[in-house]
Amino acid sequence: MSQNRQNPVGTRAQRGPWLEFLRPISTRESALLGLVIWVLFFVGWEVAAWRELVNPLLLPPPEQVLVSLYDLLVNRGFGVDIGVSILRILASFVAACIIAIPLGVLMGSFARIEGLFNPFVSAWRYLPAPAFIPILLAWFGTGEEPKLALLFLGVIWFLITLVMDHTRNVRDELIETAMTLGARRWQVLWTVIVPAVLPNILIAMRQMLAIAWTYLVIAEIIAATNGIGAVMWRARRFLDTDEILAGILVIGVLGLAFDLLFRWLYRILFPYLDRNGR
Amino acid sequence: MTLQAPTTAAAPSGQPHLALEGVGKVFELRRNEHIEAIKDVSFTMQENEVCVILGPSGCGKSTVLRMVAGLESPSAGQLLLDGNPIHGPGRERGMVFQSYTSFDWLTVQDNVEYGMRLNGAGARERRERAAEFIELVGLTKFANAYPRQLSGGMKQRVAIARTLANDPALLLMDEPFGALDAQTRWHMQELMMSVVESTRTSVLMVTHDIEEAIFLADRIEFMSRHPGSVLEEIKPTFKQGQRFTRKEQLLDFPEYGDLERHVMKLMRQQGGDDATPAEQGA
Ligand SMILES: Nc1ncnc2c1ncn2[C@@H]1O[C@H](COP(=O)(O)OP(=O)(O)OP(=O)(O)O)[C@@H](O)[C@H]1O
Ligand SMILES: [Mg+2]
Repeated sequence: MSQNRQNPVGTRAQRGPWLEFLRPISTRESALLGLVIWVLFFVGWEVAAWRELVNPLLLPPPEQVLVSLYDLLVNRGFGVDIGVSILRILASFVAACIIAIPLGVLMGSFARIEGLFNPFVSAWRYLPAPAFIPILLAWFGTGEEPKLALLFLGVIWFLITLVMDHTRNVRDELIETAMTLGARRWQVLWTVIVPAVLPNILIAMRQMLAIAWTYLVIAEIIAATNGIGAVMWRARRFLDTDEILAGILVIGVLGLAFDLLFRWLYRILFPYLDRNGR
Repeated sequence: MTLQAPTTAAAPSGQPHLALEGVGKVFELRRNEHIEAIKDVSFTMQENEVCVILGPSGCGKSTVLRMVAGLESPSAGQLLLDGNPIHGPGRERGMVFQSYTSFDWLTVQDNVEYGMRLNGAGARERRERAAEFIELVGLTKFANAYPRQLSGGMKQRVAIARTLANDPALLLMDEPFGALDAQTRWHMQELMMSVVESTRTSVLMVTHDIEEAIFLADRIEFMSRHPGSVLEEIKPTFKQGQRFTRKEQLLDFPEYGDLERHVMKLMRQQGGDDATPAEQGA
């Protein structure tokens, strides 16, 4: 496995200080460092719980959280709640993307379309989505609609703005080059602007998906009988802090998984952005 | 302003390839605040000619070139290509910019095919023609590489091959080698000379590098300082219509030094008042 590891004596001479500007680290080292902080976190938690620095009712030790997570998953159908939450995220997020991405690209490409929509979008962006919860509940009752609508409203305006800004930043020279090669308007849009901005759109989606999780929990706490947030909220009533923490843990793990998925997609879809080729 | 020239149909042979007639450009910075970038620019260019626009920084060289490309419209006068007024950009006037414009998401091959694809050439013709031009700029080994993997000079060669493969009637270049180091730069100048010779392309190029201008140009339009207009038309007559593919060939001509001196003097006169003769001597 590690035959090609360099001779430590040979490398010692070039080794710089531990913290160094502009010096990247290997994937392996970065994974290791990432693990270190988590280990420290759980050790700290464990110690705090074990020495009873905090009321054990409020802060159960990590292993107890894992045990109740196991119990929730195996005996109480928590898996279904997780699935429901993921579906809510996906449905509303996909809907937001279907509208926000084309609109943002058009707004970033054509000043007239921006002039038409931007005052509207900006105003909505300043309104905090949870402010709409009462009216959404009044309109839609307690079905799936108000939750999906909240997630949708929480994501779409920022996504439009991010996509628009990224589109506007496509270099003029690229567009002008295409035009002097004979590209017509829609050809410029499809063959230059869209491919140029696509990597940044994916990054914007990744950022907004994290926000969607925030709104999901709010929606499920306020108006749901199932989903991760609802389970956590129910546990609060019986002061089952281990179950609340289990829910938080699951959300964290899912968030990380989606983030990794996006990073992976980025590498798969845009190999040409890598200086060293594939 | 839109008077139709009465001689459109007549005299096709005597008609210049490109003609600028009293072209002016005023930019509006803010409301009621205008800047006159160029004023009354007139010159003509023949087919197969390499014409270089030279002048001090800010005199409006890029503006002139962008108007020929159709990326800006003139505020006064008119621009004619083969007798037809220029309206907007088109494939017959391909442009190479100073900054790198390779499409990162396409391989070198696909970059060079890009213009032909837009204009509906068949797959096979595209592939062959692109390969030909990639070879001409010496990038055959990199045909399947992505631009991120190329050096600056190589990216610029991709841009030149892409534009030439699209068969423009006029190749426009705005300081195409300005971002390159000195050695790459003269390699590129020599390469361009041989490419232009073999494709018989007409070239209108902007630079503020005097040596480059004299080496490449059949004719130099020297522009005065802001607001720019053509101050002097310079023909490097010592070349006697030859084109060189090696820069040192210029040094065989004593007239080369004289011409360079003359252009430098113009550049100093026009390029601001900070350069004194004393500095010149050092
Ligand atoms: N889009 C624009 N809006 C306003 N002013 C402009 C614009 N483009 C150019 N100008 C002005 O026109 C003048 C000429 O600019 P231009 O870029 O054509 O000069 P240049 O000769 O190409 O200079 P350089 O050698 O530095 O590239 C400058 O004063 C510039 O500020
Ligand atoms: Mg310029």
